[in-house]
Amino acid sequence: MGGGLKRKSSSSSGKTLAKSKKKKGPHLPNSILKVIASQKQRPPLNSDDEIGSDDEHGGDLYEYEEEGVPEEESRKNNRYDRHDNYDYELPEDFEDENVESEDDVDGGNSENDEDDDRHIRMLQSLTGMPSAAFEGESKKSKPVLFTEAYPEGEFNPTRDVLEGKNVLTEEDFLAPLEGKPGYQKTRKQIALMRKDTKHHVVHAPLPKPQRDRLERKAVTGLVDGEFSKWVHLVKKNREAPTLYFNQDVDLGYSTVGAIASEFQPRTQFEKRMASVLNDSDVSEAHRDDGARLLKLNEVSMEDHIKDRRNHIAKMRALLFRHERKCKQIKKIKSKTYHRLKNKDLKNSSLGALMDPEMAKEEAMRQEVRRVEERLTLRHKNTRKSVKRVLRLGLNLKYDGPKAAIAEQLQIHANLSRKMNSMRDGSSSDEEELSDGSDEEDTPSRLIAKAKEKTLKALEDDEVPNATGLMSLPFMARAMKRKNEEANQEAKRAVEEYEEWENSGGENSKKTVNVSGRREFGATAKVEAPKESKKDSDNFYDNSDSDNGIEEEAVRDNASPARTITETEKSDDVDGNPASKTTFDVAMFASGSWKKMTGCKNTESKKASKKTHVPISQAQDKKGSRDDESESEAEEMVDGVLTCAASKETFEIPCQAELINRAFAGDDVLDEFEKDKEDVLNQEVPKPEKPVLVPGWGDWSSVQRKRGISKRMVMEHEAEEKERREKLKTRKDARLKHVIISEKVDKKAEKLHTTTLPFPHTSKEVFEHSMRMPIGPEFNPSTIVAELNRPEIVKKTGVIIKPVRFEEVNPNDEVDDEHPRNHQKQRPKKKTSRRQSKVNSK
Amino acid sequence: MRIKTISRSVDEFTRERSQDLQRVFHNFDPSLRPMEKAVEYQRALTAAKLEKIFARPFVGAMDGHRDGISCMAKNPNYLKGIFSASMDGDIRLWDIATRRTVCQFPGHQGAVRGLTASTDGNVLVSCGTDSTVRLWNVPQPSLEDSDFSSEKTVEPSAVYVWKNALLAVDHQFEGELFATGSAQLDIWNHNRSQPVQSFQWKNDTIISVRFNPGEPDILAASASDRSIIIYDLRMSAPARSILMMTKTNSIAWNPMEPMNFTAANEDGNCYSFDGRKDDEAKCVHKDHVSAVMDIDFSPTGREFVTGSYDRSVRIFPYNGGHSREIYHTKRMQRVFCVKYSCDATYVISGSDDTNLRLWKAKASEQLGVILPREEKKHEYNEAVKNRYKHLPEIKRIVRHRHLPKPIYKAIGESRVMNDSKRRKMERTKSHSAPGTVVIQPHRRRRIIKQVE
Repeated sequence: MGGGLKRKSSSSSGKTLAKSKKKKGPHLPNSILKVIASQKQRPPLNSDDEIGSDDEHGGDLYEYEEEGVPEEESRKNNRYDRHDNYDYELPEDFEDENVESEDDVDGGNSENDEDDDRHIRMLQSLTGMPSAAFEGESKKSKPVLFTEAYPEGEFNPTRDVLEGKNVLTEEDFLAPLEGKPGYQKTRKQIALMRKDTKHHVVHAPLPKPQRDRLERKAVTGLVDGEFSKWVHLVKKNREAPTLYFNQDVDLGYSTVGAIASEFQPRTQFEKRMASVLNDSDVSEAHRDDGARLLKLNEVSMEDHIKDRRNHIAKMRALLFRHERKCKQIKKIKSKTYHRLKNKDLKNSSLGALMDPEMAKEEAMRQEVRRVEERLTLRHKNTRKSVKRVLRLGLNLKYDGPKAAIAEQLQIHANLSRKMNSMRDGSSSDEEELSDGSDEEDTPSRLIAKAKEKTLKALEDDEVPNATGLMSLPFMARAMKRKNEEANQEAKRAVEEYEEWENSGGENSKKTVNVSGRREFGATAKVEAPKESKKDSDNFYDNSDSDNGIEEEAVRDNASPARTITETEKSDDVDGNPASKTTFDVAMFASGSWKKMTGCKNTESKKASKKTHVPISQAQDKKGSRDDESESEAEEMVDGVLTCAASKETFEIPCQAELINRAFAGDDVLDEFEKDKEDVLNQEVPKPEKPVLVPGWGDWSSVQRKRGISKRMVMEHEAEEKERREKLKTRKDARLKHVIISEKVDKKAEKLHTTTLPFPHTSKEVFEHSMRMPIGPEFNPSTIVAELNRPEIVKKTGVIIKPVRFEEVNPNDEVDDEHPRNHQKQRPKKKTSRRQSKVNSK
Repeated sequence: MRIKTISRSVDEFTRERSQDLQRVFHNFDPSLRPMEKAVEYQRALTAAKLEKIFARPFVGAMDGHRDGISCMAKNPNYLKGIFSASMDGDIRLWDIATRRTVCQFPGHQGAVRGLTASTDGNVLVSCGTDSTVRLWNVPQPSLEDSDFSSEKTVEPSAVYVWKNALLAVDHQFEGELFATGSAQLDIWNHNRSQPVQSFQWKNDTIISVRFNPGEPDILAASASDRSIIIYDLRMSAPARSILMMTKTNSIAWNPMEPMNFTAANEDGNCYSFDGRKDDEAKCVHKDHVSAVMDIDFSPTGREFVTGSYDRSVRIFPYNGGHSREIYHTKRMQRVFCVKYSCDATYVISGSDDTNLRLWKAKASEQLGVILPREEKKHEYNEAVKNRYKHLPEIKRIVRHRHLPKPIYKAIGESRVMNDSKRRKMERTKSHSAPGTVVIQPHRRRRIIKQVE
């Protein structure tokens, strides 16, 4: 209600404002004007009244447009002003004045029908028109009761509803549903929905820049989150002692299988093979049982004939070619060619087979080889290299030497077995065919030849071939020994040969039965090795004994020398008491008695020990006192006291006096001062005094009179001054009893930095990191590579991909098996390694 | 009688093959080797000197362009290939091993300002001031490349015309998107003629773009209003922006540390930032005396190379304030672009004198096949040198570089200026009430503000 009033007042104020403006508006017919006029001072009721409501005073008829007044206020909308009607009861007289107006009838008496009836009657009387004409009007005006433009409905709610009174709630709708199956559920859902909508008030959208800023903020948060997930990985990489970028090198195929699987048949042969291998029939047959394979293998008659024909044709062609070649060769007239050809033929085994003579010769040759083998035993592990291999056991470890040795043994076996095999194998045909004479003939010749050879070998052996390594004496000796051995064997062999020759065929047969190897083995075993051993032993023994003698001699020589030095030492100790005393005094200056005594005692002890030898030498009293003091090793003062006690008349002096007396002769302070001066002179050298050097600056009497030039004197003074300054600034300038050396070792200086380098925070840590060397000379080879490993290991030519994300547990320690760990935490690692070593021990 | 003899078992001293090394036994007792430190110091000194002697970083120049090189791109999948583009619109593919042009990509009307290749190395993307983006199919390297007489030319597989001149382009790592910088930041797909996404913030031209290799959806761009902006492709808005006192010419992400990037600044310094903290740089890399034009990280993430307007190329450690190396030649002019090769062994620079130059990343590195013993020796030398690098003499030798006169003078001048500034600051501080004057660290000094 009040709201309505207020609005009205505001509207009126608006009107006054509007009034001041120029009047304008449509030209209205008179009747309407009248009606409007009748309406003055009455509140507007509906949209139709709008125009009328504008003018309070009848004069301003043209004004219908109002600026600055919102529509609601201008009461275009009825809904806002319903209650004005109740409120604003117009006085009756006023109403009477404006009877012509229809609208005011509408508005004024909306409530009771009686009034309406009266009104109609009144209109009738006034206008003289039948009441029916007004009936419609009154009927029309009846809906005004609602004061709504449209009937109430779902799209046009009542005023009550809009103002919050008598509002229909969800409960109202739900009420009829009560008791129905889904009622409770729906109710709950509705309650929830209401709760949700209660707090969420949708505001008007913010201005765009502000909105953008918020959006950017959100994006920033997301991107930061994205970045943050990398932190652990990056940290791990940064802390890793070495990053490896050479890992993922693609070397192509890794296995034989992989290579085989990629195989593509290219040549015709390969293709045919592939066609057979990939033939489904064959593979199936193979899979089944193989019986069908045979079937598949069957060749048809035609194919067979074809193959056969082809084969024959090929053979013919070959024959033909061979024939032609032979003819061609025959045509060649060169004798050298034929000679060489024949020789080749002879050498080849083919020739030996074809020509019996040749075969015989071959057999002879082999026999000779065999005999040689038996003589020299060249293939029976007698070689030096083989011996070495056997000694080291390399043949057990490795295949190479093993095979070589096996081969040698094989050769040996072959050569020594040849005799039998010749009998048994190759010459068996002859044995069967021919009679014994022929057979006899060959061995006899062979034996003769062998004998000849052995004799020759014997002769050859006499000639020493003293060149190179063999010329060395021990080698020569060894060779000689070997030769002797061989000679003996050879002699025995010759004897044997002779025996055989004498005994004739049967004997020879007999001997043949006995395997040569066994025989020789037995004979060889007799003495030779023993001798050699003895020899070698002797050889080494000799040298050893020689060495021993020498050593002994050296010892003999050394022992007197040593004794001499010892005596000298002792002499020195004795003869230099002064130095000793100074030492003692120094100890005293440091202020502890006991220490001094202890030191002195030990010193004297040493002295006495060393003076054992020259005990016969003349000794002064001091020496004897020393001895005494040595006997009572613990306290020197006591020793003095006992000495004093022996002289009975002597009174015991006080401690200070004693000390004074004890060190009466030494002026410690003076000596120290001298020392200090020496040190100072050394570290800050005194400038040289200018002197007149004869021949320089004394040419004339004037010069001589002038003396040393002023400049030199000035310079000298300046230097002196400088020196004094330097001395003043020294650390020990004010400390009388202390020498602080300020000498800088220039060579050591270059090994130190002036300031602490950047990443290090403490001197100790830095020095620790520099302490252990990293070179291969100072470290075992197992860790040198790790110590020297660079921070980045990459390979030229390998593309490095950017980092890929992987989860890293931040709590994990850096993996220990990483080799470079030693580098950064080297000191720690070292100690731990040592500890582990100790533990293992 | 006791005789001391040296006894050695034959087993331990026998070589199985004649090529085997003789076994040497050492007593590692430190008391027996009192001079070990001096010995190693001497070795370090020798190693330092040897390094100087063998320092020959310049491998070769690649000549062929007719105008200054404006940009380069390396083929992430093929070590020998590098693309370069010049101001006259010429794009070339070079074979680094032979230092010859393999093929050319003609088509651009004006200067080519951006060049990048896809991760598989099959597609080359170029853009330029003629407002076009061109995609090219890179010819596959084959063994028959040996005939250099015929230089191939390739037609663009696609040409996309855009509204503005394009100043920068970069390809996503292992994706098929690429970003161009013009009046705005545009994200393109290979197969679309229009950008799939656009970012605009504060109407300023984007002058460089770089995708993050570790996080393929994140990219950084620098604009001509002196700002560095970080974008995420999955979001519709930029994430962060840093406004600095001077323009950032180029940006490089650390490939091993996806949150960190380094910006090459117009003031001659490089600033390493953590992508999460924009109030201060993590590290300021000073040494250049003029604007830094381009920057590229080593794939190991431990170093980056910069090219500068002062006609020099420098290599910095990722966390060090000063460069470890400077490369310059008499004929090399303003360096506009630099790249670190994909195996972290070489550095390539493109300069105004129309040449590409190939340098070794480590000046004294031995090229070619290295025997294991040689490698061990190199490692030891390096380790020893590294250990004694703080000692004055070694430090002096290792740090010594010959500089061109202009750079040397400029360094001296800037030092004087910085000193006087610092002195003035200190005096101001000492003469004012405590707390009123705050001297900002250099890491923070050049940052004006962080824009939210």
